[in-house]
Amino acid sequence: MEYFNLYANCQLVKGANMSLLCDLQMRRFYHLPNDTAEVITFLQQHAIEECLAHYGEDNRETITGYIDFLISRELGFKDHQLLPGLTPLDLSWDRYSRITNVIIEYNEAVNYNDTFFQQLFDLHVQGLEIRFYHTIAPDKIRGLLAGFNGTTLRFIKLVLPYNETLDLRTLDKLVKQYPRVKSLLIHSSPIDKQEKIFDESVPVVFFSREINSCMACGEIRTNYFTSNMELFTESQHYNTCLNRKLSIDTNGYIRNCPSMREHFGHVTTTALQEVLNNDAFHRYGKIRKDEIAVCRDCEFRHVCTDCRAYVEDPQDIYSKPLKCGYNPYTNTWDEWTENPLKQSAIAWYGLEDIVK
Amino acid sequence: MSQQILILSQSHLEGTTDHVCQWMNHLQIPYLRVNGEDLFQMQHLGDLPSNSQTGVVWYRRKISSFPAKYSLKQDDFATQYTLKRFLIDEFNGLHAFLFYTIDRQKWMNDPISEDNLNKLHVLALARQHGLNTPFTEVVTTKAVIIRLLERCPELIVKPVSECILVEDAAGGQYKMLTKTISKANLQQVPEKFFPSLVQEKIIKKFEIRTFYLDGTCHSMAIFSQDNRNTKEDFRNYDNKRPNRTVPYKLPDDLELKLGQLMKALGFRTGSIDLMVDLQGNYHFLEINPEGQFGMVSYPCNYYLEKKVAQLLNKSILHEKEIY
Repeated sequence: MEYFNLYANCQLVKGANMSLLCDLQMRRFYHLPNDTAEVITFLQQHAIEECLAHYGEDNRETITGYIDFLISRELGFKDHQLLPGLTPLDLSWDRYSRITNVIIEYNEAVNYNDTFFQQLFDLHVQGLEIRFYHTIAPDKIRGLLAGFNGTTLRFIKLVLPYNETLDLRTLDKLVKQYPRVKSLLIHSSPIDKQEKIFDESVPVVFFSREINSCMACGEIRTNYFTSNMELFTESQHYNTCLNRKLSIDTNGYIRNCPSMREHFGHVTTTALQEVLNNDAFHRYGKIRKDEIAVCRDCEFRHVCTDCRAYVEDPQDIYSKPLKCGYNPYTNTWDEWTENPLKQSAIAWYGLEDIVK
Repeated sequence: MSQQILILSQSHLEGTTDHVCQWMNHLQIPYLRVNGEDLFQMQHLGDLPSNSQTGVVWYRRKISSFPAKYSLKQDDFATQYTLKRFLIDEFNGLHAFLFYTIDRQKWMNDPISEDNLNKLHVLALARQHGLNTPFTEVVTTKAVIIRLLERCPELIVKPVSECILVEDAAGGQYKMLTKTISKANLQQVPEKFFPSLVQEKIIKKFEIRTFYLDGTCHSMAIFSQDNRNTKEDFRNYDNKRPNRTVPYKLPDDLELKLGQLMKALGFRTGSIDLMVDLQGNYHFLEINPEGQFGMVSYPCNYYLEKKVAQLLNKSILHEKEIY
């Protein structure tokens, strides 16, 4: 008898109608009808012949088609048994830092070398995003980046406004000088385009819309979906948007994310330890996708970024992200800004200018 | 004086040590990391970590590279090489002094066993412990190869010691990897040659890399068979179609035997290579006591770096109870 062995790092996530087969190693995902997912699940317990018998002769071709598809994508293989040694993937999640990611909304008046920032980056923060809403001189960017040279930071993303002096050659020089910079987003650009610098290793995305405040953040789009071990496992236990994340907004206030309403003090007057010891600071980080309305029925829930700052019902932190246009019950994407049911929340957050 | 965890490593290109150290910091476990490079700063022997200070030693690496270049006044290729070898021996002589000054039982792995690990001995020892190993011989003539090819259709040749990296004058690098000998390429084999290790070629279903940590096997299956580039050796990476790497659990009796073998060698940690043939039989290949385990830890979501940090902490607490 032949069996189909599905690799353990290919994880099925079932939604209301459709499922997602997430290949966490090759970082891809496959959108499948729930019927297909059911067959794949059945095959994890039964031989292929048993499966064909179970679903009837009429479905033989369809089912062998599924198996051929899975094999062609190298998501599994046939063998004379379900190999007993192939164990399920352990989905636990942990990191060696209390804060893994930081967002800074840049403000010239804030001193990014003072104690608060030193203590913050001593926690072995891995990723940093620096958002510039206003034009900034390249020298100032270099000065800021030089301050992170002694840290264990691995990844810096710069969000910069379009400026003719910041051409690709200048950016290339910049990232070669500060190799921690691994991604750039240039907003307010005359055109939308994607480039790569530093021997094709650093993407530069030119974005025609203006990003002049954090209000633009929190959109849920398929190109933001990521199928990998880190996000998938974290998503099982924590909020992928806010868990172990910390932001410093443009006025120097410490928040979970720049868009969240409450702050936990100011960088000049609050000690980092105080923030870390504050239970309220960690509250949102514990909200899992499986607990959020609609998201819990969505097949994309464990590849999604989520957003707890702008939600459909501002009074209910367990409601769906406001800026998500996907309906997992109909499997359609609509423009969220045009949804009549979202208009009151849009007004509540004062996002009218953003949605224009 | 309170006893501490000592980590012997190198200052560069040792992500595994860095990763474990970051876990130790996060878990607030105190430790002392001494890189081989640090020995160039010592003033006298008293600067070496002492036995009384040390509760447990995790020995990862000796050194990445000497902090300064040393050369002869008169440049000469052959003597330059001799000097290089000499300096490595000098450094090793100093470094290995620690193997004797710090009590043997404090080392996670017996350092003398680790530094002198012999592939042929490990295979013989593995067989004594009931592990299945591929037929292995060391031969010097084509005539014997021809006879062996009647017994197994294909042989592989690999070093008794370790693979090396060869550089040509233009700076091109050549990795030494496992090669196959069969009737098809027999004509390339000279009549007489340097004593060489040949092994029966196992047609594999998949490979297994096990990280053994203090009695527990953390295993990963590596599927590369349908991937021509990696048929013989999974280190021939194929970036477009990488090997599939998934968590795996070895049968209990096999784990038991591997544990006994590790104990016999005095190792509490190490990487073990195994192969599974088309019939599903396991073949033990070799042990790398200082093998990288990041390549097992990440794809299988095992958090081995955290487990190593916790084991070191447990060991030091245990030491404290004894004293």
